[in-house]
Amino acid sequence: MTSQVIEGGAPSRGRAFLASFIKNILPAVPLLLIVGFFFLFPIGRLIYVSFMSNENTFTFDNFKTAVQEPYRTGFVNSIKIGVFSAAIAAFPGAIAAYFIETRGSSKLRRTIAVMSGVLANTGGVPLAFMFYAALGIQGYLTKVLKSLGWDLYSGTFSLGSFIGLLIVYLYFQLPLMIIVFSPAIVSLRREWSEAARNLGANQFNYWIRIGIPLLFPSFIASFLLLFASGFSAYATANALTVGNLPLTPLQIGGLLDGNVSAAQLNLGKALGVVMIVISACAVIPYLAIQRRSAKWQKG
Amino acid sequence: MRAKRLIAAATAAAVAVGIVAIATPATAAIDICKAKNVKEAGGLDNLIKAAKKEGKLALITTPRDWANYGAIHDAYEKAFGVKVTVDNPDGSSQYEIDTMKTAPKSKQPDSIDIGPLVVAQLTPPGGKPLSTPYKVINWNDIPNAAKDSTGLWYGNYGGKLAIVYNTTLPSVPTKAADFAKPEYKGFVGITGDPTSSNQAFMSVLAASIGNGGEKNLSDVSKGLALFKAVKAQAPLVKVNGTNLATGTAKLGFMWDFNALGIIPAAKAAGLDLKFVYPSDFVLQAPPYINAINAKAPNCANARLWQEFVYSQNKGKTAAQLTAADLKLPGSKLFALMQGGQNYFQQSGADPIMSAAMTKKKLLVPSLLDFKVPSTAKIIGPATIADVLTAREQIISSWASL
Repeated sequence: MTSQVIEGGAPSRGRAFLASFIKNILPAVPLLLIVGFFFLFPIGRLIYVSFMSNENTFTFDNFKTAVQEPYRTGFVNSIKIGVFSAAIAAFPGAIAAYFIETRGSSKLRRTIAVMSGVLANTGGVPLAFMFYAALGIQGYLTKVLKSLGWDLYSGTFSLGSFIGLLIVYLYFQLPLMIIVFSPAIVSLRREWSEAARNLGANQFNYWIRIGIPLLFPSFIASFLLLFASGFSAYATANALTVGNLPLTPLQIGGLLDGNVSAAQLNLGKALGVVMIVISACAVIPYLAIQRRSAKWQKG
Repeated sequence: MRAKRLIAAATAAAVAVGIVAIATPATAAIDICKAKNVKEAGGLDNLIKAAKKEGKLALITTPRDWANYGAIHDAYEKAFGVKVTVDNPDGSSQYEIDTMKTAPKSKQPDSIDIGPLVVAQLTPPGGKPLSTPYKVINWNDIPNAAKDSTGLWYGNYGGKLAIVYNTTLPSVPTKAADFAKPEYKGFVGITGDPTSSNQAFMSVLAASIGNGGEKNLSDVSKGLALFKAVKAQAPLVKVNGTNLATGTAKLGFMWDFNALGIIPAAKAAGLDLKFVYPSDFVLQAPPYINAINAKAPNCANARLWQEFVYSQNKGKTAAQLTAADLKLPGSKLFALMQGGQNYFQQSGADPIMSAAMTKKKLLVPSLLDFKVPSTAKIIGPATIADVLTAREQIISSWASL
């Protein structure tokens, strides 16, 4: 009681701050702690270590090596497989998502949602094994195709080649696209299409002027997510290749956890930092598009 | 002035050392954590007594199906009543080094088993060694090229590269140069990425000596050329247990000492795998390396484990030890147990002391059903310097092969 009286006499700025802190910041503290501890701290530490030599002195050497062969080819291949697998999966995935969400029965939608969830998370050794069993040189599908007159393995095809890996990646990229793009389709309100029709727009006009511009930012966002998933996939590629198809995640794995390389841990970390930079660069066009579409949505 | 101060300091230090030396009676001087050989540990009986008291041995990345390690673990556990734990059995040598550098005390291993290519990391220039010196009783029987003269590390067992193949292949491969035959197209490969896997790395060396590079082990260009020729027909497949058991991979190099683990697994899947040594040149790879961790949590077991792994005894395995045997005093029990070197020998690996053991007639027979053909010449073991040069070649050209 007494303390309250004394405090009541003082200017209440401190209390106002406390109140705003409790109201605005405190609920976010658990999240901030998690983000800080599991995201910001590791990234900060990664960047710091990537500039260290083995003797713990400051150096640019790790980055100099990181942009030379064979690591340069690793980046080129990783970006290529990220872009290609995302591009090939994005359009059919988006169209499939549209038809499932607008035309499908609720039972079909639920089934597809569950299936996509499972398939999008299939990766690593099990996925590689599934493809060996189906499309491997002794695979079942390979034999069926051969009996139909198409010998997959007459050329230099293999699941461990770029094309092979691309096919395997599509297996999880397509369902992933359906999962991440469906909410955008759902958010397209039926009223908009009805309103457009009432104002005299035909189906084509509606899509060109309303549907596609509204879906475009989500499409790009989904595309980027797919790119990131293809760009950074590790376990599947590791199970299918033996180092002849340089990919950055595999090179990092080899540097951090190999039996051969000599104390090049910090080079591995520099490669990791370059991967973060590439991912960040990929997000910039998205931010620009997002800003524009936000304007439309408000207006 | 400075010189005078130095002398004063030196005198003080000398006096201090003298006092310590006088104050400590000889019998109490046993500190097993600092013992550099069994004598400094108070003799084998004392070491075994201390190890039994600790009751724990922490190992790292020594899988049970690798070079007969499972049988060695079992014998050690049963004889000395010590719980053997193995952290991350299928981990890499780099994992072992990183664990020694960064793990908390409770996760530190007592003893490590690492590939020859990472040995240099045990002794960082200008830094403190990660391992601590120890010389086993049979130290002199370890070839000089395979050990650090101060005892910081020592070779343990080596392997030869054998050709593993599926019997459904249209013909039987007999040498590395056969890999490029068109009839094997699409089925030939390597155990992993030679820039990160030791077995794959040695496979490139084995390919090299089988393709005209047998004169110079530090130059693996011939091996790279052979794999390039194979790859020109079809991408290299990964030769591992799974791919061999599904028929995806049918031909490649593998450690001879893993044959006893691989063949039955493939047979269970209905496939017939065979191992043969190349008929022309067989690569004797540099040995895997043992060392005691400087931060070993169980000092006595860390040392007793070395003595056991480097024991040349013929004798009883875990299953053959009787209850009466287990009551024997430490060194007597130790003497009637089969030593680690003979367990490696059984798996088909080459115990590091095989030359000395052959002379002493202590080697037990190997359990492998294939032998080095009389036409073949054994090349190697490659020295650490050789493999380091070869490594640069492989790192710079494997990715773009």
